[in-house]
Amino acid sequence: MIQYKNVSTIYDDNFMALDGVSLEIKLGELVSLVGPSGAGKSTLLKLLTREIVPSQGEVYVDKVNLANLSEGDVPLLRRKIGTIFQDFKLLSNKNAFENVAFALEVCGASSEEIETDVPKVLGIVGLQEKINSFPYQMSGGEKQRLAIARALIHRPNIILADEPTGNLDMVNSYDVVKLLLKINELGTTVILATHNREIVNSIGRRVVTMEKGKVVRDQVEEGKYII
Amino acid sequence: MKESLKRIFNAGWTNFKRNSYLSLGTTGVMALVLFLFSALLALNFLSLKVVSSLQEKVDVTAYFKAVATEDEIMKVKDDLSEWSQISNVEYISRDQALEEFKARHAGDILIQDSLAELDDNPLQASLNIKASNPSQYAEIVTFLEGNKFRTLVDKINFYENEEVISRVEKISQSIQNWGMLLTLGLAVIAVLITFNTIRLTIYNQKQEIEIMRLVGGSNWHIRAPFLVEGGIYGVFAAIVTLVIFYPVIYLASPKVELVMPNASLIGYFAANAFKYIGMVLFVGTMLGVVSSAVAIRRFLKV
Repeated sequence: MIQYKNVSTIYDDNFMALDGVSLEIKLGELVSLVGPSGAGKSTLLKLLTREIVPSQGEVYVDKVNLANLSEGDVPLLRRKIGTIFQDFKLLSNKNAFENVAFALEVCGASSEEIETDVPKVLGIVGLQEKINSFPYQMSGGEKQRLAIARALIHRPNIILADEPTGNLDMVNSYDVVKLLLKINELGTTVILATHNREIVNSIGRRVVTMEKGKVVRDQVEEGKYII
Repeated sequence: MKESLKRIFNAGWTNFKRNSYLSLGTTGVMALVLFLFSALLALNFLSLKVVSSLQEKVDVTAYFKAVATEDEIMKVKDDLSEWSQISNVEYISRDQALEEFKARHAGDILIQDSLAELDDNPLQASLNIKASNPSQYAEIVTFLEGNKFRTLVDKINFYENEEVISRVEKISQSIQNWGMLLTLGLAVIAVLITFNTIRLTIYNQKQEIEIMRLVGGSNWHIRAPFLVEGGIYGVFAAIVTLVIFYPVIYLASPKVELVMPNASLIGYFAANAFKYIGMVLFVGTMLGVVSSAVAIRRFLKV
């Protein structure tokens, strides 16, 4: 499903974020990407949404080489992927309903679909009471759950979570992880980039450890956060 | 299609409402620009009035010898009347000229007495010619001089008026040219101000645009509501402008008429109300939409 083939990424300031990474992630897997800051976890995720292109090597999603996508195809790729960020990246001008609805609108969903699906998904993440609230009226945990609802709404095949618990306390972090596990049980591939040891150890699935732009360990089952 | 249009308009309108301070500021600046544009229209109208009143004051008179009969003079008049460049030809007979002369000098006993002494009417019959454009007088005079009735013409006062005529022509030309230049210059400034204001407004939402891109919004999905928002700024700015402009014109018009009796500003803007309102609305909307389109282009690459 997702394949990195000998991928290197060098940023403009000559910083080598990835150094010859090869990795394969299968459909329905839940993979924790761990490692210290600057190890290359976020870069690995950004390659999947084509925010950046590799300096060397190839990245495939569903057997499509992302380097070959035209500008017009990039939005289509992003609609197949749900993304959750540490800083939530919510639309501050839109309320909870509209934030989630936007992701559906860009996919061309009808108004009826939006009217029925959005409240349902907000219910799943426990935000049915906050449907008309704006992001500034929500707590950190609520914002992240709203971001998850947005990532889920169009039933993507892949969910990318980049430090989703970075701004949350322990209780809220576990809530988020529980949601991610639930999403994964329904068949969605989840890639979780984090440096939260407790979270990773509590999940106990595949763990890919990165350091200085390289994959240094790949524990396929019952992985633990080891550095 | 209908649904997505409705969505785009709703999103644009919601954006406009929610960013109320920003919207108010942008609308205000645009209204100022449209007001300036309207003031230029008024100025243009007044300068045209000045030019045409100057031009009305210029004419050429051909004086006929005493031997010329009225029939012959009328033939010349008919010949001239056929010219499209000539706006008016007036025949003044010898008797009429005398009457006018007497009336003009009614209080001057010396002149009245001198006239009474004369047996014959000393004044000449004449044709007073007004061209639609002062630059055509030279041509008209050439025509008169080449006419078969040339021998009947005693003198043409063009040569005495020539300098005045050419000066009026120069002044008219420069009023028109400078007016055009001023209008163009201010229009460019107006567009730049609007563009920059809208660009700042959109810059404020840079992060939002980036997020929209990241969740898979196509360029069009992101751009369209901003274009609608720009259009809404324009429409509101136009309404604000009209609401202010008409009362201002209504109050200013009598004062302008004190200086220029023929120039009724309120009359002009009332007679052309539909045209003017349509134009302000159109210019406002286009200014908003085009400025938004240009401004958003920079933020669509994530």
